[in-house]
Amino acid sequence: MSFPLSPRARSGPRRRSLLAAAPAALLVAGCSAGSDDPGGPAPARPSAAERTRARAARDSRALAARYDAVAAAHPKLAERLRPLRADVVRHAEAFEGGADGSASPAVSAAPSVEATAAAAPSSSPSASGSPAVPASEKDALAQLAAAEREIADRRAEELVTAPAELARLLASVSASGAAHVYLLTEARR
Amino acid sequence: MSDAQDKELRALQAALAAEHAAVYGYGVVGGRIGERRRTEARTAYDAHRARRDALVRDVKDVGGTPVAAAAGYALPFPVPDAAAAVRLAAELEMRVAGVYADLVRSSGGERRRSAAEAMREAAVRSVRWSGESVAFPGLAERSGTAPGGPAPAP
Repeated sequence: MSFPLSPRARSGPRRRSLLAAAPAALLVAGCSAGSDDPGGPAPARPSAAERTRARAARDSRALAARYDAVAAAHPKLAERLRPLRADVVRHAEAFEGGADGSASPAVSAAPSVEATAAAAPSSSPSASGSPAVPASEKDALAQLAAAEREIADRRAEELVTAPAELARLLASVSASGAAHVYLLTEARR
Repeated sequence: MSDAQDKELRALQAALAAEHAAVYGYGVVGGRIGERRRTEARTAYDAHRARRDALVRDVKDVGGTPVAAAAGYALPFPVPDAAAAVRLAAELEMRVAGVYADLVRSSGGERRRSAAEAMREAAVRSVRWSGESVAFPGLAERSGTAPGGPAPAP
């Protein structure tokens, strides 16, 4: 395999930084700040974007509640779950606050029963609408991972037709969720 | 070229430049990473090469001339051992996630979908390397800390 090993000498006109792309990226960011329209093949109407945003916020709130339920049922997992739950709460706040600082109206902070139930098809919903936490730690983590994955996949779909800034936020949060799935299922810490 | 097309081309070029840098960086990672995680590094290296090649095609598709790789790159920090190689790998992935985030914003349709997918893969790889979750991969303005990336070499 061809892993070039050593970087070139310390200076030279042809060298570029690993960060060479950053100024360009910032430029792009600066140019499109406040503009929500370029790109999408089917630009979403504001109301559609608001619905997407509100649903994303509800999903994250419901997910945070599930983290709480798992941590309550399996105290030994609480430490491991805490940073992930904190991410999920920040996701909810980002969707509630608006990607560009504009407030999002009518976002319910209450967990969405449908989202919660739909997120874990393999478990039976309890009377309150939240699925029961499995008795084993392993199953509880797997159920959380399934919920994270389902929501991340949904966001990956919704971003395709979302306005530009919301699409960027959805992509990031979806990526964070995918990383959570990894941490919940594969990482051995 | 319209304003939107121009933005998209610039975002594509920025992503391509970042993938060039990632390919180079993983070359360094591969040389230092140690036996245990070498396969993982190799897989990531191959993934970035594939993304780089796809971006070359995308840039051409929108009428641009793909940016070339630099002859060399300054590393953000010394990489003398496996631990530093792991940190470099995580850093490379986060940088790549950032440029794809901008490409998501600047593009649409299948190209946007693909950029989001690349972003997701980068975020997962970054977490694999670092073991730490990140709330907003690729969004520097929400990270709370400035990206501790490499500085341009004069």
